[in-house]
Amino acid sequence: MEKEDYDNASQALDDIIATRDSNLLEQVEQIAQNLHDTLEQFGSDSMLLQQTKHGLPDATERLEYVIQTTEEASNKTLSAAENIIALLETLESQATDDAQKEFINKAQSEVTEIMMAQSFQDLTGQVLNRVIMLVTSLEQSLMELINKSGIHIDDIPDPAESDEKRKAEEMRGIGPNVTKSSQQNVVNSQDDVDDLLGDLGI
Amino acid sequence: MQIDRDMNILVVDDFSTMRRIVKNLLKELGFSKFDEADDGSTAWPMIQSGKYDFIVSDWNMPEMTGIDLLRHVRANDKLKETPFLLITAEAKRSQILEAAEAGVDGYIVKPFTAATLNVKIQKIFERVEERKKAAGA
Repeated sequence: MEKEDYDNASQALDDIIATRDSNLLEQVEQIAQNLHDTLEQFGSDSMLLQQTKHGLPDATERLEYVIQTTEEASNKTLSAAENIIALLETLESQATDDAQKEFINKAQSEVTEIMMAQSFQDLTGQVLNRVIMLVTSLEQSLMELINKSGIHIDDIPDPAESDEKRKAEEMRGIGPNVTKSSQQNVVNSQDDVDDLLGDLGI
Repeated sequence: MQIDRDMNILVVDDFSTMRRIVKNLLKELGFSKFDEADDGSTAWPMIQSGKYDFIVSDWNMPEMTGIDLLRHVRANDKLKETPFLLITAEAKRSQILEAAEAGVDGYIVKPFTAATLNVKIQKIFERVEERKKAAGA
């Protein structure tokens, strides 16, 4: 092949690639524009934006509360079970007849059952941790998407909550106040409850 | 004051573990007659039978909440005097005041202790006694 032919062919190839690249670029730009328009249409208080900024972190915080609470409870149960086992062992070493020993052994195996049942915390904790990971990564992906569409996360307002809506929710019952945002205006102890009701004669 | 330990008590909570815990605590306090309901909506027909001398209820339940159950009880002429204790994780001041307004006799926030339950029950029945005396006088 002549050198000139080679140059022509090379140029033709570059042109083809450039055309294809610019088509691709156009398409990507189109997709980005569509996404931006769609998110824009939602408005900065849209459900998706709200859920990404507030709903998902809130869900994660609640799941972490579940793990923490079940862990504390399981640990308490395990400590108590261990103490009982120690007591039963002392009792066993002092037992004089077989009937007593059999009785103690039965009690020990029941305590073991209690201890074994606490393994639920490990199992459920692992499952919840996986869900937390998934929710967190979903949250990050959505954040990136929102960012790329030109909306700043700081521009998404806090959820607008009317007094009526808040009251309706409270009357349904909202469960334990485990997230930072839900811990406003909450009593801290039974004493607080008693003080509040004491004035009303209850 | 002597509380009637033979009274019929209805324990309402959607979590069976919590019903079990409350029943065990009440047993420790010397009570022996309990029934259970897993929601306000199942508790209400039971209460309407007029069997219960004392209702211990959770707030947050799927069908009918404890506060709605309380309102049903207070709105019924035959049942409205029934002592009603809420044991709940609901801890907003506005919720506690709402419960007071609806006519709750006692309010315990979870997690709670056996001692707290004992004190509240004593207090509730002292007041019931006072009400009876005042009504009789």
